[in-house]
Amino acid sequence: MLPYRSKKSVLIFLLPPLLFYGLGVLMPVIQSLFLSFFEWDGISDMQFVGLGNYAKMFAGDAVFWQAFGNSMIYMMICLVLQLGGALLVATLLMQLTRGREVIKTLYLLPAVISTVAIGFLFQRIYSMDPVGLLNRLLQVVGLGDLARPWLSDTHTVLAAVSVPEGWRFSGLYMLIIYAAFMSILAEIEEAAKLDGVNEWQLFAKIRFPYIRPVWITTVVMAVTYALRGFDIPYLLSNGRHGQLVTTYMYRTAFTNTNYGYASAMSVFIVVECLVAVGLIFGLMKRKVDE
Amino acid sequence: MRTMKTLAVSVLAAAALVLSGCGTSTSSVKPDDVNPEGEIKPHEISWLLSRPVDGGVITAMKQIAADYAKDHEGFELKFITTPDRPSYIQKLETLAAANKLPELFDIDATPFAAKLAKKGSMVDVEAMLKDMGLYDDYRTSALDYQRFDDGSLYMVPFESQVEVFFYNKALLAKAGVDIPKTLDDIPQMCAALNKAGITPITMDGQDMWPLERFMAYYPFRESGNDYIKKLKKGEAKLSDETGRKAVQWMADLGSSGCFQEGFSSTGYADAQALFTSGKAAIYNTGSWDLPTLGTEDLDASVRDQIDYFLLPVTDGGATTQNEYVAPSGIGMAVNTKGYDPLVRDFLKYALEQYPKVYGATGQVNPTTGDGTTLPSNATDLYQRVVDESDNVGDVTAMPWDTQLDSTSNTRLQQELVLLVQGDVSVDEFIDTMDGVIAENGPKAFAE
Amino acid sequence: MTGVESLPSMRSWYKQSFNNVEGYRHHRRITVHRIITWVLIAIIMVIQVYPLLWLFITSVRTEHDFAAGDPFGIPQQFTLDNYARAFESGNLGRYILNSVIVTFGSNFFIVILGMMAAYALQVLRFKGGKIIRMIFMMGIIVPVQISLVPLFIDYSQVGLLDTYWSMIIPLAGFSIPMSVFLFSSFYQYIPSETYEAASIDGAGPYRIFAQITLPLSLNTIVTVVLVNSIFIWNEFIFANTFVLTDDLKTIPLGLQNYIGAMGNTDWTATFAAVCVTITPLMLVFLVLNKAMIQGLEGGATKG
Repeated sequence: MLPYRSKKSVLIFLLPPLLFYGLGVLMPVIQSLFLSFFEWDGISDMQFVGLGNYAKMFAGDAVFWQAFGNSMIYMMICLVLQLGGALLVATLLMQLTRGREVIKTLYLLPAVISTVAIGFLFQRIYSMDPVGLLNRLLQVVGLGDLARPWLSDTHTVLAAVSVPEGWRFSGLYMLIIYAAFMSILAEIEEAAKLDGVNEWQLFAKIRFPYIRPVWITTVVMAVTYALRGFDIPYLLSNGRHGQLVTTYMYRTAFTNTNYGYASAMSVFIVVECLVAVGLIFGLMKRKVDE
Repeated sequence: MRTMKTLAVSVLAAAALVLSGCGTSTSSVKPDDVNPEGEIKPHEISWLLSRPVDGGVITAMKQIAADYAKDHEGFELKFITTPDRPSYIQKLETLAAANKLPELFDIDATPFAAKLAKKGSMVDVEAMLKDMGLYDDYRTSALDYQRFDDGSLYMVPFESQVEVFFYNKALLAKAGVDIPKTLDDIPQMCAALNKAGITPITMDGQDMWPLERFMAYYPFRESGNDYIKKLKKGEAKLSDETGRKAVQWMADLGSSGCFQEGFSSTGYADAQALFTSGKAAIYNTGSWDLPTLGTEDLDASVRDQIDYFLLPVTDGGATTQNEYVAPSGIGMAVNTKGYDPLVRDFLKYALEQYPKVYGATGQVNPTTGDGTTLPSNATDLYQRVVDESDNVGDVTAMPWDTQLDSTSNTRLQQELVLLVQGDVSVDEFIDTMDGVIAENGPKAFAE
Repeated sequence: MTGVESLPSMRSWYKQSFNNVEGYRHHRRITVHRIITWVLIAIIMVIQVYPLLWLFITSVRTEHDFAAGDPFGIPQQFTLDNYARAFESGNLGRYILNSVIVTFGSNFFIVILGMMAAYALQVLRFKGGKIIRMIFMMGIIVPVQISLVPLFIDYSQVGLLDTYWSMIIPLAGFSIPMSVFLFSSFYQYIPSETYEAASIDGAGPYRIFAQITLPLSLNTIVTVVLVNSIFIWNEFIFANTFVLTDDLKTIPLGLQNYIGAMGNTDWTATFAAVCVTITPLMLVFLVLNKAMIQGLEGGATKG
């Protein structure tokens, strides 16, 4: 805390961001909360239904709960690909003596491709007729029996729409983790190597514990982005079978013009994210304390 | 509930610090006040539409608006187009909720549109066209497609399409099958084509509406549009005889492999390509695809093999061969807010000029009279399909996606894919959908 | 850890042996290890880069080749027609300019406001700061879709619809929480002695912000800008909802113009347009790559 600070200075620094954020984010959220107690199609008069929308969500809507389950699976897949991939590549990079810069850049590239293009690209990859890349590959390696229309098969569609999202942003997390690895003093690692520590131990005992604060940041980022994930599942499956809570909410609002019910769902998403973040911090903190 | 709404709006605007009190409070007319008094003062007007940027409608209307602007300095027609339909609908609905729809906007004859009309937001187009002396120029089928259930008309059609089954003669011959005479012939035909290693029917499953068309075929042949008109209100059920037959037929189409594997994730262009590259035997699409299918741009090996048939009938059905899906496209509604002498004058001018300009682009007009000028490289097929528009019967099949309330419609589209893929049984499908429609249908169509 | 004092000499020994590794038999294990590393890297690179390559290749295919031929094969013919069509049917330059304006505008607010809030919360500190921080953090997890209808109504009330602001406000608003989070994590690591020393010299909170905190934050700024630019450049939902006229369309919206009747799409032209529109971001990326990564390194080390 600064010794020479006045109330005024705090306000001067705090008010502009708070105001901007309040108008751009908080106000619409509160308005949505308000809407969630109504039934409204956008043009007729609003009807107050109390907790009716929430009752419907929790008790009567099987589609919602299916979407919720899908969202959880979607999140897991994204996390494994983004964070797992990021850790793996960052670790591999640490062992290279040449070409790190080029590889980092290339690994990050998918992040700059627009979602629309990614959507179509993966349609091509998953397609069955005409034979897409994935099915072609399976045939080549003799696993032709596994070939299937990945986006139409109800068993695979969810995984199929999760993978591209995981794939495209892995580079971003890799950069963050790699940067954290780089900040570990070379002396510590080299001393450990001299002690005969193998790569795995180096990772588990030194690198990973060292970057824990960064790791928490990336986990929070990845989890919340995954829970809010929308574009690619929406574009790839038209939000049909691999329907997530977000795509279901969007359709309820903008295809079915049921703004009240959609608002109730987004309130749910906010609560869900709060719980998730609380859990992450709780778990990570306990580990640190141990 | 008025007060609730007032309260809601005031809360919604709570932080609107600079309330635009100056709001250009444009005057609003009554829906049937189609010829408002006053002077024609040229100003800018906007048309929110969902049509391809370089398509015939926009090209024609741009030209007409430019001509009109020559005599009316200060006039401009702004086109705000969102060709992608789901994005468009989202935009339309948010604008409607904010009460910010422009002078002209595109909309299908959906329950949502009916609500807007009931609210007095749309000009009575039937009265308007009659007042302009244009009403009788329009094809009955083109206007009927735009009408609400009570027969009222609030949208102006800009197209006239027929939806037929294009087929590849060589492929059918290879499999030793004829074109189907009745709907019940189709599953068998598919099985035979499959045996010969040919994709029977190419399906754009991604856009949902093409598959939903098939769902509409059987009931339409059996009982015209009556069934869907009742079904959507919950007065008829899928578990009724007509419904069950239709669902069973859809399931049969799926089990006999009528559509290419993975059809539900095939997009429009890919589905079309399956047909134009000679891999699929049948392609159910509208006359809007004629520039691709009926011109010499198409690869000769396929071009010479293409023919078409109309929606097959059923034994003892209620509709005849020349009654099928003949849509006039998404319609244009005229906002009562902002409808002034200028808007009327421009619309009168534009709708008078439109058939001549539009017909010249190789498309069929929603009006009779001005014919279609075929492209110079059109094949014989082009002309024959265009001629079908003049033979369309009295009743045209209503696509279900413009009939059902949107919640039921979304669910139906999802469940249909599952039904055809064999992921749900006929009974499960009927149970689910009857439940969904019972919950949402009556509410949406309540008077 | 052993022998910290002798590290420098050991390090040089280690480096030397590492560099000569291929020459020695007993280092075979390391060689095998390296080969595995490179193979893994190569596989991952193919997965990451191939799709982009595919985009570029498709953009020079003929339409017929794309529809009827093998979309993953080598193009039979090279054509630039797609690019011609892409420029004909859309106002690509305008879309790019709009995206640039929105990206810059949003980033400006994200950085400035994020820094100010983090400074107030982390450095100045005040009673109730915890609650304010919680309120900001909530924003990280609010799904953006929920704000569409309320914002639309609010904007139409104050006449902000169809302006750059209508995109910048929610884009920046929803990114401020993450920015506050990153900046305050970083500020945690600025030792309080730094501030105390400055305070003793008589510097007030404004001078300290301008002369100490701001310059130290440069790396984090780069991180924040980099991460947000990626999201904002391709943002679709807000733009689609709040922008009506062609003049304000950003790239993702502009790409929608290539969708034709009933869902039919001129895909090769669309891909050409995609290639044109990702190029600016990619160029910035390649040019600033090093600075950005350094920024991330700096930002992440302390954050």
